[in-house]
Amino acid sequence: YVYSRPPPWSDSLPTIFVITPTYTRPVQKAELTRLANTFLHVQNLHWVVVEDAPRRTNLVSNLLEKAGLNFTHLNVETPKSLKLGLSWIPSHTPRGTLQRNLGLHWLRDSFSNTAPPEGVVYFADDDNTYSLELFEEMRYTRRVSVWPVAFVGGLRYESPKVSPAGKVVGWKTVFDPNRPFAIDMAGFAISIKLILEKPHASFKLEGVKGGYQETSLLKDLVTMDGLEPKAANCTKVLVWHTRTERPTLVNEGKRGFTDPRVEV
Amino acid sequence: NEELWAQSVLEMPKRRDILAIVLIVLPWTLLITVWHQSTIAPLLAVHKDDGGDSQRDLAAGLDSKEYCLSDRDIVEVVRTEYVYTRPPPWSDTLPTIHVVTPTYSRPVQKAELTRLANTLLHVPNLHWILVEDSQRRTPLITRLLRDTGLNYTHLNVETPRNYKLRGDTRDPRIPRGTMQRNLALRWLRETFNKNNSQPGIVYFADDDNTYSLELFEEMRSTRKVSVWPVAFVGGLRYESPKVNAAGKVYGWKTVFDPHRPFAIDMAGFAVNLRLILQRSQAYFKLRGVKGGYQESSLLRELVTLSDLEPKAANCTKV
Repeated sequence: YVYSRPPPWSDSLPTIFVITPTYTRPVQKAELTRLANTFLHVQNLHWVVVEDAPRRTNLVSNLLEKAGLNFTHLNVETPKSLKLGLSWIPSHTPRGTLQRNLGLHWLRDSFSNTAPPEGVVYFADDDNTYSLELFEEMRYTRRVSVWPVAFVGGLRYESPKVSPAGKVVGWKTVFDPNRPFAIDMAGFAISIKLILEKPHASFKLEGVKGGYQETSLLKDLVTMDGLEPKAANCTKVLVWHTRTERPTLVNEGKRGFTDPRVEV
Repeated sequence: NEELWAQSVLEMPKRRDILAIVLIVLPWTLLITVWHQSTIAPLLAVHKDDGGDSQRDLAAGLDSKEYCLSDRDIVEVVRTEYVYTRPPPWSDTLPTIHVVTPTYSRPVQKAELTRLANTLLHVPNLHWILVEDSQRRTPLITRLLRDTGLNYTHLNVETPRNYKLRGDTRDPRIPRGTMQRNLALRWLRETFNKNNSQPGIVYFADDDNTYSLELFEEMRSTRKVSVWPVAFVGGLRYESPKVNAAGKVYGWKTVFDPHRPFAIDMAGFAVNLRLILQRSQAYFKLRGVKGGYQESSLLRELVTLSDLEPKAANCTKV
């Protein structure tokens, strides 16, 4: 048994393309570090990191180089007009949308529909927690696979409702269970083949009601009865929508106490 | 249903009998359906996959031999394929890093320990000492530890209720995790003999922090007590030991109480196991510890400022 970090690439395993939007803030490096530590266990993983920034930053570039993962480093800045988002209007651009769409665009540019690679796309935000088992569950997705996600919708977990025949028939959520896809971004994966087959399917940028972001993409890709339930027919929780609290930096004061050249 | 009930009132004898029969038979049919489904469902799921995928499954590494077994067996085999990972092979030359993590039940506990384990699984010669703040070792933690494949020891000690942190700062209280860390220290002293123990380093790692892999290699060469910067403590981007040109620690770069004997966070130091075993009475102080002095309460019994070994490029890296 040979340990290597990441595990050696295998020609027979489908690739997992993980798209992670990220943005500069104090905890960014910490989040990406522990995310990388998880991904470094997953075979045939390709990390697509998309910064919400006008330029690719040194912090992220260096982190990706050092980690040793297979990666693609992109960036697109969310225009300030979209960022500010008048929150009293029900429609707004949820965070990360432009970045995820750029990730999809890169995939469509990089791979041809005539010879699609075996693989899946998964949208992994940089502050969630992922078990290693999750990646093996999603690896063999034929079209779109789904599973429960912890700590979303004000619940311990939200989950697809799976019939005894193994088909998704609804959504076990309290918040708006009648959405076409009442599922969190971390609760589904899409086969590359499907992404390439439907080149116009993207996350809707504007006019998206809260909780409908995922629907805005999935409705162009699949119908409910085409979903593949994973995680033991959606009875296991393998991903947690954790949130990181903002660190208090009150003691930095006006001019900054710590050396700004030390990267945090 | 309402109609049935109304009718049964009007034509009581006949309707009531039928209703009674339905109410008796219905639960049994439900029971039988559910039992039947639970045996059918796995078979159905596998049959669905068979359709287009047999070729792909075989290519991906499932033995054709396994494919010919009964459906239930295929489900079992696929499950055991998921051996998620193992730590790097043990090395005879590297000192063991004993990572002491106190933990307590709350919704995010499993998530925190999962991602911590994902980090620890990259570190060679690591021994995880997980100490639950609980009356008994919980099944959740027992299963989690077993499934990671890590080298571990699972302990527990419950912090007495009146000692647990409360909102009122005037209450005498023990900082969270103290009894658990002390239990780990006691376990180490009972398990290892100071005369012929294998080299080891002790590090206190809380379950909600973030650790780089580089950190563990920095601490491995600790001779007595090594120190380094920690991000997001003391209201700063980071706190750090002050290191002079000769590479010696002479102070603390903090805003909050920099004159503490050891103005350092729990995550900012590691102790050589030998020192723990030699100073067998050194523990974290349980009561009467001012905020921010927990670390000092242990370190002052182990080492002096000038003995500290600065790591992380002389404490310039986080």
